[in-house]
Amino acid sequence: MLADQYYLIAHEDRTGRSRLHPRATGLGLAAALLAELVLEGRIGVTDGDLFIVDRHPPRDALGHDILDLLVAQPQHRDVRTWLAFLSQDAALRVGERLVRLGAVEPVTRRRMLGTSHTLYMPNSAQQRNAAAWASTRLANLLVRGMELSIVDRMLVSLVSATGLTRHVLYGFENYPHAFQFLPNAAASLPSDLREIVDYTEASIGSVVTVGRR
Amino acid sequence: MTSGRHALRHNNQDQWAGRLLMDRKPAIEPDIITRALASNRMGVASVVFFGVAGAAPLTVIIGSISAIYAIQGSTAVPVAYLVVAGILSLFTVGFVAMSRHIVNSGAFYSYISHGLGRVVGVGAAFVALPAYSLMQIGLFGLFGSAASGILGAMGLQVSWYACALVAWVLVTVLGVLWVDLSGKVLAVLLVAEISIVLLYDLVMVANPAGGSISFETLSPAPMVTPVVGSLLVLAIAGFVGFEATVVLSEEARDPKRTIARATHLAVILAGLLCGVSAWAMSVTTGPDKILSVAAEHQTDLVFTLVGPHLPAVLVDIGYVLFMTSVFAALLAFHAAVSRYQFSLGREGVLPSAWGYTHPRTGAPLLGSITQSVLALGVISAYAWAGAEPLLYLFAWLTTIGGLGVLVLMWAASASVIAFFQQHRRGENLWRAYVAPFLAFLLLSIVLAATIIGFGDLLQVPAGSPFRWVFPVAYLGIAALGFGWALIMRTVRPEVYAAIGRGADVRVTALVENDFPPPLPPTPVGTHGYRY
Repeated sequence: MLADQYYLIAHEDRTGRSRLHPRATGLGLAAALLAELVLEGRIGVTDGDLFIVDRHPPRDALGHDILDLLVAQPQHRDVRTWLAFLSQDAALRVGERLVRLGAVEPVTRRRMLGTSHTLYMPNSAQQRNAAAWASTRLANLLVRGMELSIVDRMLVSLVSATGLTRHVLYGFENYPHAFQFLPNAAASLPSDLREIVDYTEASIGSVVTVGRR
Repeated sequence: MTSGRHALRHNNQDQWAGRLLMDRKPAIEPDIITRALASNRMGVASVVFFGVAGAAPLTVIIGSISAIYAIQGSTAVPVAYLVVAGILSLFTVGFVAMSRHIVNSGAFYSYISHGLGRVVGVGAAFVALPAYSLMQIGLFGLFGSAASGILGAMGLQVSWYACALVAWVLVTVLGVLWVDLSGKVLAVLLVAEISIVLLYDLVMVANPAGGSISFETLSPAPMVTPVVGSLLVLAIAGFVGFEATVVLSEEARDPKRTIARATHLAVILAGLLCGVSAWAMSVTTGPDKILSVAAEHQTDLVFTLVGPHLPAVLVDIGYVLFMTSVFAALLAFHAAVSRYQFSLGREGVLPSAWGYTHPRTGAPLLGSITQSVLALGVISAYAWAGAEPLLYLFAWLTTIGGLGVLVLMWAASASVIAFFQQHRRGENLWRAYVAPFLAFLLLSIVLAATIIGFGDLLQVPAGSPFRWVFPVAYLGIAALGFGWALIMRTVRPEVYAAIGRGADVRVTALVENDFPPPLPPTPVGTHGYRY
């Protein structure tokens, strides 16, 4: 799923640390989760507002949870509000979903001063391969100039909006057409998804400007 | 049998429990989303810390006030700080009101481009860059001379340049890593600074010269003389940083109230601290002797004044806090300058390379490096020329930078008037018209007095080109900005249209350019199945 792929791209496979500013990763994951619901035809986005299209719960438990919350809180329609809200624990919840899939394992690290925190990271060789494949697959598609599915186009747009392009296309600097494709990826998306990408980019911009953790 | 309250409850007639649950639901006003978002946001106290920490009170009190007493030779310093706090409070009223209606309000120039148009906005941005940059570089002079003085007292002869270089290396590294002394460290330092200032003030007032407390330096009478009017720009330099609070409007718990309260509090707190401390200094030396004592001790002034009445350890703590305060101010200004360049780069006013941030840390790399290189160049030039750091580096550059910030505030106050002239946007008369107009009037007077008396502020003799070159240079830079904006308007109209929009560049463009949606969004649940 979209958010799973994004999670694996946005985290280092060796250490489980976020490659981006944690708040930027959170926003990227929140956008991916909303985009999953859009792709499944449950919600839509117009002029910065979310609206419910279909109340049928999606198969995925996390998607079901988010859709229920969207239905239960009709007073909040702003995409930015939902991005901000979902970004707070998006990494945790997508991490848990990946645990259920068996793609990562929870690893608890003790920090200085006794506080411990849990990282969701690939632990076995097989899991690490799968995690590394997430970004390699994308680079492969981009460098070869292959036709992208709508999910992959959304993934590429989020990668570029959150600033992970350099990581995904690391080592392919002499394939300029791969870089040139990135702005077009967002342009060819349906307007719902394009708005999500734009609001994600704007939210990350203001988070970074403030520079607060 | 009557069915009273208890019977109802007992028999569960009309399913009262269910109704209770249903009725209660809308009463829980801040719902789960609002509460979850608010828990991660800043309250008034944190925003005040952000604003006051930017203004660095101990740096101003130990560094600026002693320097103003020593260099300017005027006893009107305390009242100047209080008057400036008043003027800036008036300015804040309209400024904060305007910030409620602008998304992603970054800095003065985005206000100016919203109020007075994008051409003036770019001009303001061009003025802001050297102004803030010079203030930061000037602080290196204060740090260097103060540190070398302290080391000298400990028996180590180190030149001010070496001390400034150490600070420069630290600031450069921390700036590139984007380590801000944020949150708790800053708060703890600030609380310690404020308590030591209050303690010193108490000691100084408790030991007045001649046994009686004099209020002479608080008399507003000298304010009407033009020479003292120009002192106000020096006082304004001590407040720089308070306007940064509006950057946090998206991070604040209640954007409407938190920012307004916090900004007012920051101005008043800084004004009172500085004004009272300046007065306390004059009380303990006597208003007639403060100038000569200040000229003799310079940045050690406060410490020499309280030294005889306090245990030595409290004076040493004061020295340490002073150094950390100057360093924190250096870092805060460095971050502000690089953030300014970053937002200009992102909006396309500067080359887009300045709009690049490090993916993980979010550090605006090129802005940070540019400011570091500039600072190194300037302090090395001063060291090479052998100029006295406290007067020529600290006092001069912060005064020149202060003039630029004053110009920005003046233009921002004009833009608040212009902004609310277009539409009052539900603000009341006082906030939309009266306060901005009064602030503009007062700032115009201060600006005029400053430009007229600028040569005296820099202590240069009559006939020297330094008397007029700096205001003219700002005018030239602003004109350059106007020209650049006009070029952008013809060559890159789509970039020009986005100036002053902050991070919402693409979003607002999307909403404005798209055709209106053919149908209103489907109401919630239209397509859902019925239970």
